[in-house]
Amino acid sequence: MDSLTSAASVVAAGLAVGLGSIGPGIGQGNAASGAVEGIARQPEAEGKIRGTLLLSLAFMEALTIYGLVVALVLLFANPFA
Amino acid sequence: MTIDHLADQAAAISAAELGLAESGSLGLQANAEIPSESKSEAQRQVDPMDDYVRLQQRLMMATLAVSTAAVALSWIFFSGSAAASLLLGACSGMLYLRLLARSVASLGKGSRSVGRFQLLVPVLLVIAALRVPAIELLPALAGFVLYKPALLLQAVLAP
Repeated sequence: MDSLTSAASVVAAGLAVGLGSIGPGIGQGNAASGAVEGIARQPEAEGKIRGTLLLSLAFMEALTIYGLVVALVLLFANPFA
Repeated sequence: MTIDHLADQAAAISAAELGLAESGSLGLQANAEIPSESKSEAQRQVDPMDDYVRLQQRLMMATLAVSTAAVALSWIFFSGSAAASLLLGACSGMLYLRLLARSVASLGKGSRSVGRFQLLVPVLLVIAALRVPAIELLPALAGFVLYKPALLLQAVLAP
């Protein structure tokens, strides 16, 4: 792998993780704060609120995982090398 | 005559006060007993985390069912190594879901934010798939994301 491809791969890996984490991070923060506020208002509905939060977080965090996978493939199994 | 009449009235009034006091104390006791009984029964019957625990169990069972079906189909239509990689990815997905559920359960009690510890699971899976020749990357990733159709299936079939 030449040095230009290596440098571009490392930069692309960093961008994939960094840019891919912005949206899910904001979304997870909003969801978690809303869930905690809802639990504080209605403690009797804690189980249902936590269940809904778990489902939404599982779908949101997948976007971060996709960025991680792309970054790891670029770093360890670069198809352009 | 008037003195006797006044004495009778005073006796009647004191008796009435005693009756009121007794009935009031009984009423207070009854009022004090009923909420404690109803509270203990309510605590026994409705635990707010029961729904969450049941949801976790349903998610795990749905993920297990979908993963078993996917591994069997990949064993039939593809190769054994692909099925093994898919099984490894499915186990990683279940571990990730379990760690995420634990992180959500501790939110607001022990921690103020959702933990990031569960993200180590896909990272380790991809690194293992890239380093170990026996593990194929695409079946492992497909097995890892099998928890998503399980979530959808559970959401559709939930009562």
